[in-house]
Amino acid sequence: MLKLLSYLISKGVATNKVIADSLDESCTGLPTVTDVSCATECNVCVSACPTDAVAVADGAVTLDRGACIGCNLCVEVCPTGTLVNDRSTSVWSYERQGLVRSKSSFAGEPQPAAQTGAFGQSLAIRVLSTGCAACDLEVAAAGNPIFDLERFGIGVVVSPRFADALLITGPVPKALHAAVLSSYEAMADPKIVIACGSCAISGGVHAHGYAEANGVTDLLPVDVFIPGCPPHPWQIIRALLAAKKLPGRRQGNPMPDLGKLPA
Amino acid sequence: MRIELLPLAMEKRKPVVHAALHNGERLGLITSIDGNQLLTVLVSTLTGAVRCFETPLVEKHYPSLTPTIPQAHWFERTVWDMFGLLPEGHPRLKRTHLHEPYTNVPPPLSSRAGRELENHAYQFLKVEGDGLYEIPVGPIHAGIIEPAHFRFSCFGEVIVNLEVQLGYVHRGVEKNLAESHWRKTGFIAEAAASDMPVANAVANAIAIESLFGASVSRRSALLRGVALEVERLGMHLSDLGGLAGDVGYLAIASSLGRLRARPLRIADLLSGNRFMRGFIRPGGVSRDLPESLLLEIHATVRELRSELAPVLSFYLDNQVAIDRMEGVGKVSPSLARDFGLVGVAGRASGNDYDCRLWNADFAGLRHEFTVAHDGAGDVLARAKIRIMEVGTSLNIVEDFLSNLVPGKHRTDLPDTLPASSCAIGIVESHRGELIHLLITDESGGIKRYCIKDPSVNNWTGLAIAVRNNYVADFPLCNKSFSLSYGGHDL
Repeated sequence: MLKLLSYLISKGVATNKVIADSLDESCTGLPTVTDVSCATECNVCVSACPTDAVAVADGAVTLDRGACIGCNLCVEVCPTGTLVNDRSTSVWSYERQGLVRSKSSFAGEPQPAAQTGAFGQSLAIRVLSTGCAACDLEVAAAGNPIFDLERFGIGVVVSPRFADALLITGPVPKALHAAVLSSYEAMADPKIVIACGSCAISGGVHAHGYAEANGVTDLLPVDVFIPGCPPHPWQIIRALLAAKKLPGRRQGNPMPDLGKLPA
Repeated sequence: MRIELLPLAMEKRKPVVHAALHNGERLGLITSIDGNQLLTVLVSTLTGAVRCFETPLVEKHYPSLTPTIPQAHWFERTVWDMFGLLPEGHPRLKRTHLHEPYTNVPPPLSSRAGRELENHAYQFLKVEGDGLYEIPVGPIHAGIIEPAHFRFSCFGEVIVNLEVQLGYVHRGVEKNLAESHWRKTGFIAEAAASDMPVANAVANAIAIESLFGASVSRRSALLRGVALEVERLGMHLSDLGGLAGDVGYLAIASSLGRLRARPLRIADLLSGNRFMRGFIRPGGVSRDLPESLLLEIHATVRELRSELAPVLSFYLDNQVAIDRMEGVGKVSPSLARDFGLVGVAGRASGNDYDCRLWNADFAGLRHEFTVAHDGAGDVLARAKIRIMEVGTSLNIVEDFLSNLVPGKHRTDLPDTLPASSCAIGIVESHRGELIHLLITDESGGIKRYCIKDPSVNNWTGLAIAVRNNYVADFPLCNKSFSLSYGGHDL
């Protein structure tokens, strides 16, 4: 026991003190669109994309990061450098449309106005996995000693009844629709829904099949979108910090007033 | 490897499979192409040679193999779901994939009309008697874990029977694969079980390359080998950390959580992301490894080796931790053999089957490759196998990296697959034997793409292991099997 203790002390604190702005140089991150014009009649990125996340109209390319799986094929084939790697860790958005990248979004997005948060300094999240083990592992990794999610007041709870936020990973196939809806119903007001990963946002590679695995957006109102396949723990942490600032939705299912409960 | 479909009459099917199982082959897979035939895949555990038999079917009924070959039971249930084919004499025929919302829809992979699925209400095995009660758990669990329903029948605190109802994350992967161009199949396969993307992508690449008769350079074959072992390292450390957490040994759980960052860092350097998504491509790998990164990976492997040594010795020197794992969740070698358990679970129950044994890339390595196995079949044995395999994987990564020869990292492949052919890719993933079977139609499109995840074999192993164990030990048993829900449900 003493040996173990001295080993642990000798290892010091593993936690990263600074929330990284960008991923390491060796990472590819997600693609983004620059202001460099496309080559004439060029369509190679569209035919390379496995999830139809890239579209070209009138010679301009748009990229939907909500459908992107980060395979990097579009960046590899792009002859002009219009599509490049983006290693930023701030990839989240409050709006689905905010995940769409184009020439105009390259200049910079207007920062969303600060909202009055309902959750103060803490956020209790319930992770509901619907078929993506990689996103689950990255959410779990965000809680490990290196990223240490809990220092930000964000904890993973075991029941939707304890949760402020429902964090969905995976494409929500048909067999889970009822379970996802009842989890949301079970949450007390105010509450938010976070779609983590491309599958939860759009179904990713699984979309448009007979199993109706098209993501959570058709079932529940989503407040925070985290693109990526899977998103990096820093990208998840940045999104959760943004989620803390939300006012939350009210559905007429408030916490019971303890003063009025029968004795 | 490329394979031919060998014709086999229905009445000879049972004796052929029986004889094969006695002669060192295992039942790799039972499936169908479009509901008009049965495919039976037999894999030699010594050489990796594959025989794939095709038995034509006119009616939807066929005699079940399950009564005498228990490991066929799950395959036959899945074939019923996906093709509407009824195994006559199957003792517990139930749905594996399709739930109540699929009532009265045609089986997703069948080409025959009039086989709509009926009777979707799932019937759990009833265990009745004085003092017996049931605990229903799931589909949504109290942790960061995939969904499934567990029905425990208990007597006091002891589990009498566990029935696992899967299928909650059935996403239609196989149909999606058959409707996609081959260039996109790798990305779908990676998402089939997204915590083992490398293994799935390698199996996909092997199947496609062998259809084209293409071979990859020695350099990219070794880089693939490195990727597979790095994935195994990451997941084994994650599972060992989870086991330590489940026995309350939190110092080890958090130390392993910290050390898992090292294999993920190697993955980053190798491929550009922590899960190596998109790294393996048919024809080679997505990017070459520059000399500077090679040195950094070498250094990271050495660091990981020296950092792991004290943590793993603390793990197995702690008598309290050993006591919590020893004798818990036992699967006897004979049951493991009967139910065809693979991977860590199979090796912990005395079966030394490991697909890496046939891998030609291992020839001439500095460290000799030996398969770790143990006969105890309990949680401790599964933990020990993982610890031994972590060491083996570190050796293999170092050997592969020091044997890297210059070469092209990728060759281009034609756009259309050869028509009417069949190929199979078998890979030892961190969970065990993973099989991808690919069959093309007359115009070179994909007619059938079948994935057999190792979890398909091992879910039954978990149900066997928890019998007569405490309910409170279920999380420990579950973690020691480390099964994939998504990989099974597809």
